[in-house]
Amino acid sequence: MRKVIGAAAIVMIAFLYVPIVAVIAYSFNASPVSYRWDGLTLDWYAELFQDEPLLATLRTSLLLGLVAGFIATVIGFLSAYALHRFPIRGKGVLLAAVAIPLVIPEIVIGVALLRTFSTVGMQNGLLTLVLGHIVIALPMATFVLLGAMRSLDPSVHEAAADLGAGVLGTFWRVTLPILRPALLAAFLLSFTTSFSNIVISTFTAGVGTTTLPIRIYSSVRTGLTPELNALGSLMVVLTLVVILVVGVGQMRRILAGSAP
Amino acid sequence: MSKVETRSAPRSTTWQGYLLVAPAVAVIVLLVVVPTIIVARESFAIPDPLGGTLGGFTLDNYATLLDPVYLKTIGYSLGMAAANAVVCLVVGYVVATWIAGAKAERQPLLLLLVIIPFWTDFLVRTFAWINILGSGGIVVTALRAVGIDADSFVPSQGAVVLSLLYAFLPVAVFPIYAALRGIDPSLPEAATDLGCSWWQTQRRVMLPLSAPGIAAAFMLTFVPTLGVFVIPVLLGGGLDPLVGNLIVTLFTEFRNQALGSAMAMVVLVLMLASVAVAAIATRIAASRRTS
Repeated sequence: MRKVIGAAAIVMIAFLYVPIVAVIAYSFNASPVSYRWDGLTLDWYAELFQDEPLLATLRTSLLLGLVAGFIATVIGFLSAYALHRFPIRGKGVLLAAVAIPLVIPEIVIGVALLRTFSTVGMQNGLLTLVLGHIVIALPMATFVLLGAMRSLDPSVHEAAADLGAGVLGTFWRVTLPILRPALLAAFLLSFTTSFSNIVISTFTAGVGTTTLPIRIYSSVRTGLTPELNALGSLMVVLTLVVILVVGVGQMRRILAGSAP
Repeated sequence: MSKVETRSAPRSTTWQGYLLVAPAVAVIVLLVVVPTIIVARESFAIPDPLGGTLGGFTLDNYATLLDPVYLKTIGYSLGMAAANAVVCLVVGYVVATWIAGAKAERQPLLLLLVIIPFWTDFLVRTFAWINILGSGGIVVTALRAVGIDADSFVPSQGAVVLSLLYAFLPVAVFPIYAALRGIDPSLPEAATDLGCSWWQTQRRVMLPLSAPGIAAAFMLTFVPTLGVFVIPVLLGGGLDPLVGNLIVTLFTEFRNQALGSAMAMVVLVLMLASVAVAAIATRIAASRRTS
C-alpha cells in the first residue's frame, strides 16, 4: 500500500510541473504556433523587452510591490514585536484580527475596498492599490516575523541587558540584526503576494495604474502568445529566487506550521 | 532618554506595546472591517440606475439573487467548489502522507517540490494550460497523432475543472502535512501491533488525528474557489461563470453595486458557514478520538 501511495504522490507532484514545463518550453519555441517545434529561439524574450505598454505595467507592479511590501513588512514587524515582547492584553484577539484577510475571500475584500474608496471620494490609483495590497500582505509579514521572533533564544536579550544595553540599544544592535533574514523573507513574500495579485487590483486599479497581472489577464483573453510564455518563464524564475532566498525551512514553517 | 530609564522600561511601558500594534489594527479596522460593514449595508440599499446606490433599506437585492439565473450560478459554484475541495483533499492527503512518511532529511526537498508550483504566479499557472489543452496544444497534437480528431479543449468545462484542481492542489498539501507530522509515530505503530491492517490504521488513527489539518485544507480550497474569476474566463470562455465572475461583472460592467454587494455577502456567509462546518467536523473527530 505504501508503494501505491508513493507512486500516486509522485504522479501528482509530476502533474504540478506539467504546465510550468510547458510554459518554459514554449517560451523558447521558434515557431509562433504551439503545434510545431522549429527549434530554439530567444526572440520572444527580446520581443517582451520591447513591449513598452507591458513594461509600463511591469513598472507599476514593481513599484506597487516594493511600496506595499515595505509598508506591510514594517507594520507587520511592529505588531509582531509588540506581541512578542510587550505585556499587552488581548493578544489572541490581535492575532485573529491580523489573520482576517486570510479568511475573508479576497474578492469580498476587493469589492469592499472599491466601495469604501468611492464612498470617501478616493479615485482609484496607486494609493488605493497600495492600501489594498498592504491588507493582503500584512498577515504574511506579521506571521513570518512573529514565527522568527518566537524561535529566538530569549537569553540573547537578557545577555544584552546584562551587558548594559538599553531597550533601544538591544533592539538596534541585537534584535534587528538577528531578525535580518526574517525581515528579508517577510519583505520578499509580501512583495510577491502583491506582485502576483489580480483580485484586489481588479477593484483598486485606476486609469494609468494597470498592473502586470491585469495586463496579462486581458492579453490572454485575446489569445496566448509565445511572448506571454516568455514572461511566465521569467516569473517562474522570480519564484525560484524568492523561495531560495527565503529558504525551504522558513517556507515550510509559514505554509504548514506555526502560523496560528 | 537616559540609560537607566530605558533599562527599566519593559515593565512599565504597556502603552508602547499598544502603540506598536496600532498601525496593524488601523489597517485591519479601516481597510477590512469598516469596508465589509459598508458592503453589508450597501447590500440592503436601493440601487441607483445610474450606478451607485440611493440608500434606504430593501431586501430586493437578495430577492433578485433568488432569480433562477443567479441561483443557478450560486448552485453551480457551490458544487464546483465542493467537488474541487474534495478532490484536492484526497489528492493532497495522499501527497502529504507520502511526504510525512519519507525520511526526515528528504522531506524539505519534497516539500520544496510542492512549494514551487504553489508560489508560482496564479495567472501563469492558469494560462499555462492553454499551451497544453488549446488548439495546437500538446494534447490535441497527441490525439491527432493517434488518429482521434480533436480541435481544442479551451474553452471547456473540463479545462476549468482541471485548472481549478491544479490551482488549489498545492494549498491542500501543507496543512494536512503539518497535521500528519504532529502525530506521534508510536500511535500508528501501536495500532499495527494491535492487529490493525494498514487501511484500519489509516481510517481509525491517522484520519481522525489529522482532522484539523483536513478541515484547514478544506477551508483553504473551498472558499477561494468560489471567488475565482480568472479561470472560468480564460479556460471556460465565460460560459459557466462562478460567483466570482458574477461579482466582477456586477461591479465593473453592470455597475449594480447593491446587487454586487449582496452577492459578496452571500460569499461571506458561505465562508462563515464553511468555517462553522469545518470546526464542528473537527470537534466530532476529536470526540470520537477520546471515546
